[in-house]
Amino acid sequence: MKRIALMAALLVAPSFVTAPAFVSSPAHAAEECEAKSWGLSGQKKECFSAKVVDLLCEVAGDCPPNCGAGNRQLGLLRADNGKLVYPQKNLQQSFNGAVADLHPHCGKTIDVRGWFVGDEDTLKGAAQLYQVQWIRSAGGDWKKASKWTKDWAKKNPGAKGKGPWFRRDPRVKAQIEKEGFLGLGRAADVEFAKEEY
Amino acid sequence: MRIALLAALVALAPLGANAATEGKKVSLKGELIDTWCYFSGVMGGPEAVVGSAHHTCAIWCAAGGIPVGMLGEDGDVYMILKLPEDDASAGGDSFVELTNDTIEAEGTVYERDGLKYLVVSEVKSNLGVANLNHEDFGIVPGFAIPKKDRKALKGE
Repeated sequence: MKRIALMAALLVAPSFVTAPAFVSSPAHAAEECEAKSWGLSGQKKECFSAKVVDLLCEVAGDCPPNCGAGNRQLGLLRADNGKLVYPQKNLQQSFNGAVADLHPHCGKTIDVRGWFVGDEDTLKGAAQLYQVQWIRSAGGDWKKASKWTKDWAKKNPGAKGKGPWFRRDPRVKAQIEKEGFLGLGRAADVEFAKEEY
Repeated sequence: MRIALLAALVALAPLGANAATEGKKVSLKGELIDTWCYFSGVMGGPEAVVGSAHHTCAIWCAAGGIPVGMLGEDGDVYMILKLPEDDASAGGDSFVELTNDTIEAEGTVYERDGLKYLVVSEVKSNLGVANLNHEDFGIVPGFAIPKKDRKALKGE
């Protein structure tokens, strides 16, 4: 009877409610925290377990299904201290965020390797900003957080060609065409190029 | 008995575990920036990775799903989770289009674990790219304008 009561209680707990923090971090107790240094401002290497959450849901209570289907920024709710970490960046060196790598783990607890970045002493608000380099799902192997460009290629089959994605991306090209490299219109670009190059 | 206690704890958990924080209605003015380059220092100091100097790179980053924030007049960075009618904060069109623009906005600020998050309900005005710091820093990074485009801009 008591077991049934427990099951019932678990079932009625709303799905949007943050799960109680897991107290253990078994992935890291006996492992070295391995992550590659990028020489960033205020960087601090850290590996931890965390639940992947939709930030707008977690912070403001706006909670669509499936963490916003990969369109919203995602957060890492740490198992060890309950703090909400903002993963700004993945492992790729081509201007990509971390959502493509994290979204498959929406609502699940994963292990991450990476770096906190930003010098809180000189820049206000640097707390809890993170570059996620490696991800491991429960029972899985470590995988590089480098999925973004593959996803982009699938979404942009007409943008094949030489050079990195950001030179070929239709939206980027349209935006630069519209407002110039400096954001001030073509005339400003022309003036700048004549002076600079 | 232990199971009954666990059941009670789980049943009560929702009351205290809903993490959504209380927001504060605000009117803010500031520039929408590429938060990765700003905080990480990967391309230099913070004053060089905002404004016209960093505009092209900021478009790349916004389109690449790097978080866009508002650098407020108070020096705080507000991580933008939603623009009016657009919650696609990981690379959505509105986030790309407004990059480096200075806007006056109304919305709600939420604070959590040392970060400030902003949900914009209305853009009251848009001054465009108002920080003309390319006059001091050139373009950051230097490869933002490809060589072929440099020549084209110079009429070569």
